[in-house]
Amino acid sequence: MSIDVKNINKSFEGKKSDKLSVLEDINLTIDDGELICLLGPSGCGKTTLLRLIAGLDQPTSGEIVANGEVVKKPSGDRAVIFQQYSLFPWLTVLQNVTFGLEMTKKGSKEENIAAAERYLTSVGLIDFKDSYPHELSGGMKQRVAIIRSLLNHSPILLMDEPFSALDMQNRHKLQEQLIGVWKRFENTIVFVTHDVDEAVYLADKIVIMDKNPGKIANIIDVDIERPRKRESKEFIALQESIVENLDMGD
Amino acid sequence: MYKNFKLSDEMFDNYNNRFVPIILPIILIFFWYLITNGLGLFSSYILPGPIDVINSAWVVIQNGKLLTNTIDTLFKVFAGLILASLVAIPLGILLGWYKTLEDLCTFVISVLRPIPPVAWIPFSILWFGIGTVPAVFIIFMGCVFPILVYTTDGVKRTDKVLVESAQTLGATDWNVLRRVVLPSAVPYVVSGLKVGIGIALMCTISAEMIGSSSGLGYMILTATNLFDTGTTVVGMLVIGLIGLIFDFIFTRIQNRIFW
Repeated sequence: MSIDVKNINKSFEGKKSDKLSVLEDINLTIDDGELICLLGPSGCGKTTLLRLIAGLDQPTSGEIVANGEVVKKPSGDRAVIFQQYSLFPWLTVLQNVTFGLEMTKKGSKEENIAAAERYLTSVGLIDFKDSYPHELSGGMKQRVAIIRSLLNHSPILLMDEPFSALDMQNRHKLQEQLIGVWKRFENTIVFVTHDVDEAVYLADKIVIMDKNPGKIANIIDVDIERPRKRESKEFIALQESIVENLDMGD
Repeated sequence: MYKNFKLSDEMFDNYNNRFVPIILPIILIFFWYLITNGLGLFSSYILPGPIDVINSAWVVIQNGKLLTNTIDTLFKVFAGLILASLVAIPLGILLGWYKTLEDLCTFVISVLRPIPPVAWIPFSILWFGIGTVPAVFIIFMGCVFPILVYTTDGVKRTDKVLVESAQTLGATDWNVLRRVVLPSAVPYVVSGLKVGIGIALMCTISAEMIGSSSGLGYMILTATNLFDTGTTVVGMLVIGLIGLIFDFIFTRIQNRIFW
């Protein structure tokens, strides 16, 4: 599923009625099956843009078209994986994972449970299927959240710094698993991050954003072959060139 | 869930839990015995001693008055609490879910809520006479607001991330309410019920003392009028014990709900 972001402006009402412009003239085309990273300093509006694509917020002007339809409200086609842990605390891992299938009424109960167990096995969480979220580590929670969206066959995954709360080892592991999943399911993924290393590791295309107001500063195609090696020359070179040109200052 | 304390702390805590809470009751009962039955500083009418209370307790247990009055009081407490819940929980969900409805009702609720339930006694007698119904009405008035306010609060405090996750998993508004908002409000509703049941017990006793002919409140008042203050103390202690048991039960329920 492709996404077209057309002339998006987003401003919030500030105090004393002066408007705070968060996004200005954003134009972006995301192709079907593409993995793009929105990279920029905090306050550049990357999360806001993701929320607009999800339909959780509405733009002040302009429109977003996903698979030929203007985005007006959230839908099961565009799953969001949030930075904060978002599992339902009163449901077990298995119940969390099948939640979306129940909502969209895809498949019978038995089929859904079987599929959920298969997915959980593939990320090594099958032993935790009857556990509750508070019994899981942060990395496990995010993996369950990703499985929950994948199982729902959401063609678009919108990820808002989902790994930022994890330690480096876990972050790298989940990045690798995400690439595996993306290759298998061919989702379109929009991944928000402020971590240059993460963007270079994951993205087909890195969209670099500026702040005050938030706008697209540059779009970089990443041609490094996968699986990417962090110690390879081209990886380090690309990372350095981005860091040099990126104003991460606050 | 997870208990992280050092072994020595754990031992100390257990030691504390077992012995410290019973020290004060023993001292109080001994002191109480000393100034009443022991030294006879007060007449048993003004302040009955432990022996008088035990004698009175034996009488009301044997003639069945304690049991029937306790059951009568508990019946009123539960009837009032259940009626209040039937009104307050659905209404609280609506007020928490529809902002406009909350704005519409908030002033009326804010004015009615601080009125002490016993202030409704005159009207409860005028409308319902003497007996069980006016008492249940008072309890209803006492419980309905805390349960309402807690439920509304619980619905409004639903984590936004959970609502948005459900929406992006394809949940309709109805499913968001049913599968996300309601479960996440459950702990608040339970807290509301816990507060409500405490108020219900207080209201029942007050209502029974004024507009009733049965129950522990009635038993306390009539015993005092008959100079049988031992029975008065028995009634008071039973009320305290009932409150303690309710509190214990609700705390257990709250601990089982962990979200």
